[in-house]
Amino acid sequence: MSMFHASQVSASSAKSTTPATASLMRWVVIATLPGVLAMTYYFGLGVLSNIALATIMGALLEAGMLRLRNRPIAPALTDTSALLTGVLLGASLPPASPWWLIGVGMIAAVVIAKQLYGGLGHNPFNPAMAGYALLLVSFPTYMTLWAPPQPLISDTLWAQILGTLPTSQLDALSGATPLDAFKHKAEGLSAEQFWLSAPLPEQTLAAWYSISLAWLAGGVLLLFKRIISWHIPIALLGSLVALATLFHLLDPNCFASPLFHLLTGAALFGAFFIATDPVSAATSQRGKLLYGMGIGVLIIVIRNLGGYPDAVAFAVLLMNLCVPLIDLYTVPRPQGHSKGAPGALR
Amino acid sequence: MLHPFDFPGGIYPPERKDRSTLSPLRRAPLPSQVILPLCQHSGRPATPCVARGDHVRVGSLIAKRDGLISADVHATVSGTVGHVDSDAIHIDSDGQDTRQYLPPLDWRTTDAPTLLMRLDESGVVGLGGAGFPTHIKARVIEWHAIDTLVINAAECEPYITADDLTLRNYPNDVLEGAQLIAALCGAQQIIIGIEDNKPEAIAALEHTLPDSQPARVTLAVIPTRYPSGSERQLIKKLLNRTVPSQGLPADVGVLCHNPGTLLAALYAVRDGQPLVERMVTLTGEAITQPGNYWVRLGTSIETLLSHAGLDNARLSRVILGGPMMGTSLETLNTPVKKTTNCLIAATPDELPPAPVESPCIRCGACESVCPAQLLPQQLHWYARAQDDDKLTSHHLFDCIECGACSYVCPSHIPLVDDYRDAKRRLRYQQIEAAKAEHAKHRFEFRQARLAREEAEKQARRQARLAHNKPTDGNASNESTSAPPADLRSLRIAQTAAKAAVRKAEKVLARAAQQEPQQPHEDLETLLATAQENLKAADFQLAQARESAKAPTAEDTP
Repeated sequence: MSMFHASQVSASSAKSTTPATASLMRWVVIATLPGVLAMTYYFGLGVLSNIALATIMGALLEAGMLRLRNRPIAPALTDTSALLTGVLLGASLPPASPWWLIGVGMIAAVVIAKQLYGGLGHNPFNPAMAGYALLLVSFPTYMTLWAPPQPLISDTLWAQILGTLPTSQLDALSGATPLDAFKHKAEGLSAEQFWLSAPLPEQTLAAWYSISLAWLAGGVLLLFKRIISWHIPIALLGSLVALATLFHLLDPNCFASPLFHLLTGAALFGAFFIATDPVSAATSQRGKLLYGMGIGVLIIVIRNLGGYPDAVAFAVLLMNLCVPLIDLYTVPRPQGHSKGAPGALR
Repeated sequence: MLHPFDFPGGIYPPERKDRSTLSPLRRAPLPSQVILPLCQHSGRPATPCVARGDHVRVGSLIAKRDGLISADVHATVSGTVGHVDSDAIHIDSDGQDTRQYLPPLDWRTTDAPTLLMRLDESGVVGLGGAGFPTHIKARVIEWHAIDTLVINAAECEPYITADDLTLRNYPNDVLEGAQLIAALCGAQQIIIGIEDNKPEAIAALEHTLPDSQPARVTLAVIPTRYPSGSERQLIKKLLNRTVPSQGLPADVGVLCHNPGTLLAALYAVRDGQPLVERMVTLTGEAITQPGNYWVRLGTSIETLLSHAGLDNARLSRVILGGPMMGTSLETLNTPVKKTTNCLIAATPDELPPAPVESPCIRCGACESVCPAQLLPQQLHWYARAQDDDKLTSHHLFDCIECGACSYVCPSHIPLVDDYRDAKRRLRYQQIEAAKAEHAKHRFEFRQARLAREEAEKQARRQARLAHNKPTDGNASNESTSAPPADLRSLRIAQTAAKAAVRKAEKVLARAAQQEPQQPHEDLETLLATAQENLKAADFQLAQARESAKAPTAEDTP
């Protein structure tokens, strides 16, 4: 029986290690701040309304589900994992999404993907991405309405959130994300011609670049605080850049540059905040590398060859599916066992 | 200094060793009563050989070892034997402290069997914690080739400083004890593995090192990191040899001893002093005079701690051993044993109770600190689910229970407790499965014992007949009929029986060293059977020799 615990003695310890679970989650929430603030700066208060609605609903749904499951509510709420799911899903949705859209997403995330599988630590899929994927396939109109950069408070903010804005007006508001625009450019148009045609509203590229870099800043904070290990983000981004480069070299007109892939979509957000969710990721270090690489490869494959302009959610969920298999094949060889000795695979 | 080879994982818990290293080594007062448990070592409990009212002196044998893996127990005070039960022997001290030691021996001029017998009859066991009988470990040369003796002075657990103080105060004696053991096991070199947080002990060793003869002694100072004092990890670090899973250090030519054990071995040989006292670290915020004390075995922990200034108002719990691997004592009314290395009287602030456990979030922090390269969180899931196949295939039994995973777990899951429970359950299943086999072995042992008794009777009768030979010619005529070929086959049988005993000893010693905390009853039975067979063969051979001699004796006059 160990009487010592890192979280209790770390104050006096020279080299402190991991903090407690609740504090881990809080640090991840803190690390989302740069990204969330950058998004708010470019896309207005609709981003914050998304997050506020998602976190409140997340907490209520979590409490309700715990009650139904006869589990203590307080400890589960204070571990702030539901809060984190809310922040992540809220930041993924188009700004100023209607409340019911967020509600459906959070039900899918917290009730179905998390609590029905047994709560924190038992969910095979990343809850936020499960919610996002459900919304993307069920409500494509709303999910692809990503308005161009706009002032902090837009005229239609309230109507949008309350869901009272007619669809015809919604279309007028929406713009394309850079990934979307490039994917659906006219056939035969070379990349150079495409960019010369000014396909995106002003500031759009700058906005996406800044937001991606802000997510990167938050991710570096997490790495620095040792909240996450480097394995998944580095493997993910490395394989993403490598495969994107390969495609780009094959046909630069058809496939965007690796930098474009890295900075204009959810790649950095996904690499640091989504794929690193420990519950649904692979466990061993070798497994984490494989898992990260798989996500990076899938993102590029879906973006370049598939039907969706961005693909972080599907890539993460598909790799979540592979986790049991990865874990099975990456059990490390314990000390004292010789190479080739019968291991976990028998 | 050797180049340190690394082992994976490890943690850096606060050391808290200052409390017990700042004061000099002291001697605890002579207790007025001692309680000597019959099982202070791994293996079977010893069998009492004294009765209530017997007078004993310090060093008198009071319980004899039973079976191979067991150890003698000696009186640690002079006085009168009180209560004797199946667990312990109580002795009331007469305060005289008169001694009954064995004759001193010079190990350099004494033969190995005598030295081994001395270690055996001195009750010396490993003082690091497992309490494995030292004489069995010293017999390793019969089974394995050893080239290196490692002195495990890493003492990586927080709080404990007994080895540190041992080395500071008795560097010469520890090295002399190491030379003795090295000579017994045939090791050509001795390596002292010590963490760099013990500068004074290192200085003392550096001072005495050059004079140590005949094996070459090397001092290897390694960085402080828990659990570098674990046998496997230390051997990896010092020699870059990996002890195979389910194997022993001896499999890679290494024998590991703790400094305290080497000191006890030397005293047993050089001074004839059986193991009657040991060094114990008394520490924790709840005592006013922390430090290291020489303590007579059997002293009550309560008495000992109050001597060190125990403040009951501030005490939250007493921990036996270190904070990583030790256990909380349920009662203080328990004696100091051969394996008691440290007592921590902790205040609530110092070692707070474990926080409430929350669900595993599979963060993998445990995996990155595991020195055995296991997947602690997978084991945790499988242990809770009692998925025994998965536990085995994820190498549960390679876990050294160091507690590094529990230490870093952000969800405060008592992982090691789970693993211990799972191991216990699996072992129980194995024992249950082997019960029929054990019953068969016990029957075979009984048969062997009856055969031996019969052979003994025969031999005695033969000897009597031989003695009465001149008056009874017929009997000797009968015995001359035994052909010489029979004698040879009996000799072969006796050699085979000897080999069987050696093999049984090897198997048992090995199993017991791998799992010192487990009973190995079945193997003890097998060994006892082999020994009975050997005795029977001895008697038969002696009897045949007697009768073979008989005709010549008749012819001579």
